[in-house]
Amino acid sequence: MATPAKTHKIRMMEQQLQKKLNRQVVGSIVGCVHCGMCHTSCHYVLTHPDDPKMTPSYKADQLRKLFKRNHDWTGRAFPWWVGADKVPLTDDDLTKLQDIAFGTCTNCRRCTFNCPMGVDTATLNRIMRGLLTHVGVMPEGVRVVSKDQWELGNQMGVLREDYLDTLEWMSEELEEDLGHAEATIPVDREGARIMYAINPREVKYDPRTIKEAALIFWAAGENWTMPSEGWDNTNFGLFSGDDGLGGTCGQREYDKARQLGVEKIVISECGHGYRSTRCEAVNWAGEAQPFPMESSVMTMLGYIKDGRITVDPTRNAERVTFHDSCNNARSCGFFEEPRELLRLVTMDFQEMYPNRAENYCCTGGGGAMSMSEYTPRRLKSAKVKADQIAATGAKIVVTSCHNCVDGLNDLIKHYKLDCKVMQLVDLVANALVLPTRESGAEPATVPGEVEIARPAVALPLAGRTILVVDDEDDVRVFLKAVLEDAGARVLEAADGDEAIAVATAEKPDLITLDLSMPGKDGVEAFTELRRAPGTEEIPVCVITGHPEFRTVIYDRPVAPPEGYMSKPVDEDQLVENLHRILDLEAKHVHPTN
Amino acid sequence: MQHEPSSLLATAEVIHWIALAVMVAVYTTRLVWLFSFKGGKDRSAPAAPERTNAHKGAVYSLGNVVMPWSMESTRTDPLFYVSFVLFHLGVTAGISLAFLSSLAPGLVRTQSVAWIFGTLLAAAFVVGMIRMARRLTKPHMRLISTPDDYFSLALLTVWFLLGTLTQASIAGYQALAGEGWLAAYLLLTAFFLVYVPFSKISHYLYYPFTRLWIGRALGHRGSLPLVRVRS
Repeated sequence: MATPAKTHKIRMMEQQLQKKLNRQVVGSIVGCVHCGMCHTSCHYVLTHPDDPKMTPSYKADQLRKLFKRNHDWTGRAFPWWVGADKVPLTDDDLTKLQDIAFGTCTNCRRCTFNCPMGVDTATLNRIMRGLLTHVGVMPEGVRVVSKDQWELGNQMGVLREDYLDTLEWMSEELEEDLGHAEATIPVDREGARIMYAINPREVKYDPRTIKEAALIFWAAGENWTMPSEGWDNTNFGLFSGDDGLGGTCGQREYDKARQLGVEKIVISECGHGYRSTRCEAVNWAGEAQPFPMESSVMTMLGYIKDGRITVDPTRNAERVTFHDSCNNARSCGFFEEPRELLRLVTMDFQEMYPNRAENYCCTGGGGAMSMSEYTPRRLKSAKVKADQIAATGAKIVVTSCHNCVDGLNDLIKHYKLDCKVMQLVDLVANALVLPTRESGAEPATVPGEVEIARPAVALPLAGRTILVVDDEDDVRVFLKAVLEDAGARVLEAADGDEAIAVATAEKPDLITLDLSMPGKDGVEAFTELRRAPGTEEIPVCVITGHPEFRTVIYDRPVAPPEGYMSKPVDEDQLVENLHRILDLEAKHVHPTN
Repeated sequence: MQHEPSSLLATAEVIHWIALAVMVAVYTTRLVWLFSFKGGKDRSAPAAPERTNAHKGAVYSLGNVVMPWSMESTRTDPLFYVSFVLFHLGVTAGISLAFLSSLAPGLVRTQSVAWIFGTLLAAAFVVGMIRMARRLTKPHMRLISTPDDYFSLALLTVWFLLGTLTQASIAGYQALAGEGWLAAYLLLTAFFLVYVPFSKISHYLYYPFTRLWIGRALGHRGSLPLVRVRS
C-alpha cells in the first residue's frame, strides 16, 4: 500500500519543530531509553491500568518520532529501527495526536521528576501541543479561550466594562462593610507600590476573592492598585504551547506595571498564572526579570510576619489540608510559604501525602477544565487525588490555584467527598483582626464567608422576581429559601417546558437555570427563551452540576447566559452573583444609574 | 605464564581497537551535533534563593544515580534500582574485561578480579534476561519499545553471557579452555562499540548533560533538591 503524502499541516509542524529545538529539548528527546520508569508516576496510568497509551514516554514519543524522522541520523536512514516510521502523515493522524497531547496529559511534570535520565516529558508534550496549535488542531475549548485571550486580553472573555463594574461593586461593598471611605479598590493608581493581577474566574464566578484581597491590602495599609488592562495573570499560552500568546499575555502585565510605575506585581492565587507571569512569560516575551513578582500568598505571609496585619486562627478551626498546584510546586518551587501561612491562620493543618513537588495533579491542570470532551477521562484520573484527600480527613482542602479549585470541586462532587475547597485568601480574610482606623466610623466586623456584613438598608434582591428552574425538588426548595431570605419573590419550574411557560407569563427579572433536566432540558429551554420575543432579554444564570455542559451552552447561536455557577452553590455567592447580574443589567439598560 | 596470542586473537584485538576509535569519532560528532543546538536560557529570577539554586539543583540531579530515595520511581521499587545498578556494573566489568585482556592480561587472570568480573557479568546477564521478559510481557513496555530497544537489550544480554564465559575461560576454567572465547568476545565488543553510537545505548553519552540541564533548570526554579515530608 502506498504511503500517503504529508499534508500541508504536517509540513508546517515539521518547520515549527525546528524553531522549538534547543539543547535541553533535544537532550530530552534523545535521552529517553524507554525504561518505563515514568509509568507509575502518572495519575492517568494509575487510574487507567489497562491502557498502555497512558504511559508518559509513549506520549513524549509522539514528538520524539517526528524529531528522529527529521533530525536524527538513525531515524532518517532506518526510521523503522527507532520507531520513527510511524510519524503523522494525514490530518486524521493529527486528531489522534490531539487526543494524546491534550486529552491524556495535564503537563503536571510529575513524570519529569521520576525520570532517571532527566527527560522533561511534560515539556515535550507542551511542544507537541504547540505544534498542533500552530496548525489549528486543538480542542474547541482551548481554541475559544485562546481566542478570547488574544482578542479581549483575558481568557474568559470578560469585557472591560464588566471587569471595572465588578471592581466598583466589590469596592462599594467593602466600603459599606467597613464603614471606611478609604477602604476601596483603587484602579490605575500611578505610583502604587503593588499592582494586583487576578484570574478572570474571580471576576466572572467568584468576585468575593477580590474583595477579600482588597480587605487584606486595606488592613495592611498597602499602597496598591488594580490595573484596568493587563490584569489577567493567567496565560493559555502555557497550556496550548503557543509561546506567542504566552509572551503577549505576560507583556501586557509587564507593560501596564511599567506604565503605572509600580514596584512589584502581586499575582493572585493561580498556579499557572503564577508560573506563567513569574517564571515563563519572561522567556516567551524576551524580558529579563522586568519586575519583582510574587504570589499573593507571599504578600499575605509577609504582612503577618511584619506585623502589618493580625490574624486569629481560632476563626478557622476546622481541619484543613493543602493541595500543591503542580505549576507552583514542581515548576516554581513554591510550596513552603502556603504551609507557613496556613499554620498561622488555621488551627488544624493536616499534611497530604505525597506532597510538594511529589504531589498529584488535581487533574484540572494543563487547561483540562476547558476541554469538556475529556471530562469523563479526567474524572476517572482524579481517583488518585480523591484518595489522597480522603486520607487526610480534612473538611477543607486549601489550594493556591483557581484551576485546582475547579478541578478539586469537580472531583469532590464526583467522588462524594465530605469536604470543600478554599483558597488562602478566604482563610486569611476570615482570620483577619481588623485594625482600628480614624475614620469616624465604628470598627466593623470581619467580612468573610461566614459573616459578611451586609448593608443594613435593604435586602440585596428586594423587589426582584426570580424564576428558579430545576428538576430536583430539594434544590428548588434550597434556592427558593436563600433567594426569599435575600428579599426576592421566587417562582418555580421543574423542567424546560414549564420554565418557558412561567417565564412568558410572569416575565421574571432573572432566571436560574439547571441544564440537566428530564424532558426539555436547560440547553433547549435556554435557546428558546433567548429566541422568543418577551423573554429574550431576561438575564439567565446557569446553575448546573455538569460543568462539562459549559461549552454546550456557550456554543449556542444566541447570546450567552449572564452568569454561571457550579453546584453545590454557596448561599452568599449565589446572592452576590444574582445581585451583580441584576445590577449590571440595570446599568446596561439605564446607563445613567 | 603468558603466551603469544594466536592470529585470530590478534586480529580480534586490532578490530576491537579500531572499533573503539570509530566509537570515539562518532561520539565526538554526536556531542558536536547536540551542542550545535542553541542553549535554552531561563530569564526568570531565582525562585527560592534562600533554599536552593541552579548549582545545588545540578549537583543533586547528577547525584541522583546514587540516591535511590531521590525519586519516587526508584524509592518505591528498590529491586528495580538494584537491577539497574547490577546491569550498569556489568557493562563496566564487560568493557574493562575487553580492554584489560589486551592491556593487562595478567590482571584478569587473578582469581579475585576474575570472580568480581565474572559475578558482575553473570548478574548483569540475569538482569538482562529479566528486563527482556519485562519488555516482552508488559503491555506498556511493548508499546514504547522499538526494534532498537529490543536489539540493544538482546545484544547486551548476549554480550554479558559471553563475557561471563570468557572471564571463566581466561581464569582457567578447563571446560572453557581456548582463545576462541576471548576472540569472540572481542569481536562482539567491537560490533557493540560501533553500533552503540547509533542506538539508544548512547544514552550514557547524553546522561550527564540531560541530568545537569534538568537539575540546573529545576534548581533555579526552586524545586530541586527535592523537599520531602514523609507521613
